[in-house]
Order: sequence, then C-alpha cells, then structure tokens
Amino acid sequence: MTLKTFMRNLILILIVMISLNSQSQNTKKSMLEYPTVKNVNHKVTVVNFTKLEAILHNKDNKLYVVNFWATWCKPCVMELPDFMEVNKLYHRNPNFKMILVSLDLAKEAESIVQPFIVKNKMDVDVYLLDDNKRMNQWIPAIDSKWSGAIPATVFYRNGVKLDFKESKMEKSELIKIISKYLKQTI
Amino acid sequence: MKNTGIIISLITLLTLTGQVKAQKMENMSEHKGYKVGDVATGFKLKNVDNKMVSLSDYADAKGFIVIFTCNHCPYAKAYESRIIGLNHKYASQGYPVIAINPNDPKVEPQDSFEGMQQRAKEKGFTFPYLFDVGQKIYPLYGATRTPHVFVLQKENGKNIVRYIGAIDDNYADASDVSHKYVEEAVDALLSNKPVAQSSTVAIGCSIKAQND
Repeated sequence: MTLKTFMRNLILILIVMISLNSQSQNTKKSMLEYPTVKNVNHKVTVVNFTKLEAILHNKDNKLYVVNFWATWCKPCVMELPDFMEVNKLYHRNPNFKMILVSLDLAKEAESIVQPFIVKNKMDVDVYLLDDNKRMNQWIPAIDSKWSGAIPATVFYRNGVKLDFKESKMEKSELIKIISKYLKQTI
Repeated sequence: MKNTGIIISLITLLTLTGQVKAQKMENMSEHKGYKVGDVATGFKLKNVDNKMVSLSDYADAKGFIVIFTCNHCPYAKAYESRIIGLNHKYASQGYPVIAINPNDPKVEPQDSFEGMQQRAKEKGFTFPYLFDVGQKIYPLYGATRTPHVFVLQKENGKNIVRYIGAIDDNYADASDVSHKYVEEAVDALLSNKPVAQSSTVAIGCSIKAQND
C-alpha cells in the first residue's frame, strides 16, 4: 500500500467520522426541543439517611443518577444546568431517574432551597438530607472513597452502586456514563 | 490492497483514540495525600500579618492542629469559633492551631489574601492563618475540602499524621455535638494513648483550583 492510498483512506474515514459526529449533534438538538419536563411541584423533601437510602436502593430497574449539592456550593451550582439538560434528554426513558440531594441546612429548606429550585426550574426530585450528626456513617455508606467534598454524583440500579464521582462533572462525561448503563445513546 | 489500506487506517485511528482515552483516565486518578502514620511535610507560608510561618518555628510544640479552611465556605465559617476554641485549649498544651487557606482566589475571590486578613481581624484569630500560595501544600496533605483537619505529632523531629478529618460531628449546631473528634485525638496524644478514631469524613466545600 502506498502512502498516498493510506492517506486517502485516512481522509475518507475522517470524513465519515465527522459526518457521523455532526449527525449525533443534530439528534441532540432535536432531543432538546422536547417540551419542558413535567414537574414534580418544585418541592424539596427533607429526609434522613435511612429514608434516602431506601429511595436510592429502590429495586425498580431504574438507573438512579444522584447528585449531592448545596445552594452555597459554587461548582455544584455551575454543573446544575448541565444536569438539568441531561435530565431532559433522558427523562422519557422509564428506566431513568435523576435525584438531587441538597446538603443545605434543614432550616433553610423553605427559605433558600425551595426558591432556588423554582428559580432554576429544577424539574427533578429534590431531597434535603438532614442527618448532620451521622455524616461519618452515611458518607462512607455512599462511597468508601468519598472525602465529603461536593459536588459528588453516584449511580445506582436495583440497590447496586454502578459508579461514583467526587468532582464537578462535564456534561459529556455524565451522558457517557448514563448511556453506558442505559444502553441508550443520544 | 485497498481493503488492507482501510484496515490499517482504521487501526491507526483506533489507536489514536485509545491513547487520548488513556490520558484522560490518568487525569482522573485517585486522591493522593497522607494517611494516618505518614510523615507530614513542613512548609513556610505567609501569615495574615505578612510574616512567614513554618512548623519548625515551634520548637516547643508537641504537635500541631493543621486546619485547611477558608473565608467563603459556610462549613468553614460555621467552625471558626470552634477553631479559635481549639487553639485556646491546646496551644498552651503544645498543640497550636495552624490554619491554611488552600483556595485559588482567581476561582473564589472571597478567599484572597486580603480577604483572609479581614476575616482574621473580624473574628480575632489567635493562630496563624496562612496562604497556600501556588496551592503547593494542600495536595501533599491530600486535603480535599474546607474545613479539613490534620493532627500532627512530633516524633524525633518528624511530624507524624495522627488524625485526618472533621472537627466534630455536628457542623450545624455546636451545642449538639456528640463527638469532638479533634479534641478526642489530641487528648489521646497528650496522654500517650493511641487515637481511637483516627479518621472521619464530613461534607465540606471542595478546594477551589483552576482545573475544576
């Protein structure tokens, strides 16, 4: 094979890849045009860890994407719009569920967290985990490597933890993990 | 012949993509930093009074309560009075508090050196509040959040890590604390006993660096 043939084939393949990529971007756009997600009252539910764990370990075949955040946490707030967009992409999949767990103070659930949810049109289930004194038990229960820094995101299905990230997540990374477990590409 | 060409080109492409992925994986590596029992590095950092402070300045200390903390984080703020309390109780017993702000003020402007000076003045800090210029120290310790405490004990001129974690078990309400982790650790060291609970975790603000 001459170098010329090799280069020609390489260029051909690149063109194919680029066109495939742009196609998938078009699909993304059309998915984003879905009507706004029907909510969920924009309410925040205050729970302790026992209650939260039962929700996260629900054995209903759904992929649970669970993000730990707080209104005062800058990187958390920065990644929220991406999480909301990703939720819009997948919320129609009956096997998908996104949950946000606020670590704000329980006494600020109504005064700060709730208005924040409304203002930012957070169309997902939002819980406020009010279990400060047991942090040293529930943080390792979520993940043994979690130091407690937020944001942190954990993925469950049927009570089994599939993945855990202790850092701000890029939208592409979030989509990649969800696609992997849902076997649904967008 | 043509087919071979296509196959070779494909393999080249796949290899290239694979390399990019492998590099990404490396960047997402696990937390590094000290474990209990490790020797902690010393440091020389600028204090809010513009003087340089180093662990080696404290010839008489038995150890240190090193606390990575900052100005902006609500958890850190909630603990400020308790940090002052720790220094008040333990500096005279040989375990002074050394506070370090690990955040990059370009990412969190409230955590600037000037902000630290102001905060230290307002709250009447009785301990050094140092600035981790260039963010060189916190990654060595493995601090990930504020506040994040490292209790060190001097042993043959070395500073051994004896406790890593939270100050106590209730950031929201100081009057409803069941375990004062740092106090329990320092009390144990002062009475030559092993630290019963040598590491804890707690929610905190992630340390702000530019690659976040």
